[in-house]
Amino acid sequence: MESKKEIKQPLLEISNLFASTENLTILKGVNIEINSGEIHAIMGRNGCGKSTLSKIIAGHPSYEVTSGKIKLCGNDIEELEPEERAQSGIFLGFQYPIEIPGVSNLEFLRVATNARRKFLKKEELDTFEFEDLVKEKLDIVKMDSAFLSRSINQGFSGGEKKRNEILQMALLEPKIAILDETDSGLDIDALRIVASGIKKIANKNSGIILITHYQRLLDEIKPDFVHVMADGKIIKTGDSDLALELEKNGYDWTDEFIKEN
Amino acid sequence: MNIIETITKSDKNISDNTSNIQRISLDKLRTNPIPNNKNEIWRLTNKSKFNRFLDFKFTNDFYDPDIPGYSNIQNICRIIIGENKRIKLKRENWEIKELEEKEIQNFLQQKIIKSDTTQNWSNLLNHFLTDNKNIIGLNISGKEIPPLEIICNSKNNFLNAKTLIINIEEDTIVSISQINIGDKNSALSISSYFNIAQHSVLNHGIISYGKNKANIINTLNVWQHKNSEYNLGSLQFEYDFGRFEISINQVEGNAKTNIKGIQITKNNEQISTYANIEFNGPNGFLDQLNKSLANDKSHSIFEGLIIVPQIAQKTDASQLSRNLLLSNYAKIDTKPQLEIVADDVKCMHGATISQLNEDEVFYMRSRGLTLEEASKLQLRSYYQEVISFLPVSKERWDLLALLLKNK
Repeated sequence: MESKKEIKQPLLEISNLFASTENLTILKGVNIEINSGEIHAIMGRNGCGKSTLSKIIAGHPSYEVTSGKIKLCGNDIEELEPEERAQSGIFLGFQYPIEIPGVSNLEFLRVATNARRKFLKKEELDTFEFEDLVKEKLDIVKMDSAFLSRSINQGFSGGEKKRNEILQMALLEPKIAILDETDSGLDIDALRIVASGIKKIANKNSGIILITHYQRLLDEIKPDFVHVMADGKIIKTGDSDLALELEKNGYDWTDEFIKEN
Repeated sequence: MNIIETITKSDKNISDNTSNIQRISLDKLRTNPIPNNKNEIWRLTNKSKFNRFLDFKFTNDFYDPDIPGYSNIQNICRIIIGENKRIKLKRENWEIKELEEKEIQNFLQQKIIKSDTTQNWSNLLNHFLTDNKNIIGLNISGKEIPPLEIICNSKNNFLNAKTLIINIEEDTIVSISQINIGDKNSALSISSYFNIAQHSVLNHGIISYGKNKANIINTLNVWQHKNSEYNLGSLQFEYDFGRFEISINQVEGNAKTNIKGIQITKNNEQISTYANIEFNGPNGFLDQLNKSLANDKSHSIFEGLIIVPQIAQKTDASQLSRNLLLSNYAKIDTKPQLEIVADDVKCMHGATISQLNEDEVFYMRSRGLTLEEASKLQLRSYYQEVISFLPVSKERWDLLALLLKNK
């Protein structure tokens, strides 16, 4: 009898991606493939293109893909609007979540969740059904329901904002979640809550990209792959030991690498 | 005939039924039939739109208003100006009764005699046009008064004029919604007067809602006495030409005034608000926020003036103008001003003009909301601050839904 071997599906495939903003080329040939169930970490110096890559995947209108491909579940997404990408299953956790005064967090989460559910051909939730769902998800990030009645991220502490991002991730159940420096500005306790939330949401059908500078997030969530980015491209890929190596040796070697190549 | 011609030509156009108030107003207007466009409060007025307002045929006839978004809710007193119904309501804790015709005439006469055509042209025009049938004067006293809804309306192809006078007695708390409805291709002139006695609170909402090519000139005159509180929420939209002149006088200081207003323009519309707040005693308080939102090729104007004379020490006044431009062709003029003589005061004013925040829009789109949904949510938040201040129930007037539908 054949043993049951888990077959991994490619979820996100980025090939030879070049992108620019205001005539400045920022991504210079990024290649990466994320399969279902995998957690990838992207590390690198400030300004190497990590955050730009995440925004481009999410469809930020300020950036232009000049060549290359981005595929989600085998389908090209470069021409899709940001909302179409989100509805298809791309989630970007912001490094600096935006405050939107006057817009109710609960209403925003409900509209967003229903947009995703509509794409998945699931029934949309009315206010009462949604409240039941969101209360269940609040537990994942240990948030109080009082957050829901406030304006989006307004007056939230740094940690609360990040937890709100993970709450959104839990509600939207994305195929690929890109978490851009979700660990920045968090104290140890908040980091543990956020990391625990991410681990609870992670599953064998989805993939996660963690963009981070620090080993401490990767101590909580062990990545399957670690990529080092420099000068707009991925220059080295390894397993979780690569992050430890970076923690120890820093990024000076990347300068040499870029010079040589 | 154009109203200006009626004003400037001989007495043969004036009927025998013309009241004394109309005659005095006419005499004043004849000295200055058209507002001087060098005057600050008329400088930016679109001349062709203003002339169009004056070109409508005038009528004093009553027409049943077509009220949008109205659902029948109990426990509200509703009055339509010009309907000619007697009003006298009395309960254990409160009373609303009509002022006698003589009281109204005396009140208006006093006001008109002091008026000049530079600052009060709109009021004078109103009083020249309005006959006794279209004036309502009310005396309100007591507490636990059910909300009052007063409707002023104009009829298709006509210019209508209405006057409202309300005296609020001491120790009274009342909520009044004034709904100004402009029929399509019509003009409406309204002058309102509110006298708020000591220790009284007036929660006042003014909703000016027009239809295609509707026009309005709306003046509001408020006198506040010691320890009174006046809360005004106003909303103006869907008028081709809209002009709102606010004059508030804290006659002895020691009173509180809170104002939140929003004006929304689109297509080629022009809506303007002129606010003149005067403190004539110490310890006065003002918190004013005027918002405007201009789309397409429309023009939105706000000019505010806070006057703090020597006697008004310890005044605490703030006037802010926040504006949102939704199109590269739209225009917003805003000018909050202070005129301070007193030396021990805390006064601030400011203005901002911005566009919809792109970062906010992208954040929402990155969660699956379409550009339209994201913009709607942003606009909802922009409107909400003012709408929640209006003393109007959502069940009766779902203004947010009405505004978002109109965008």
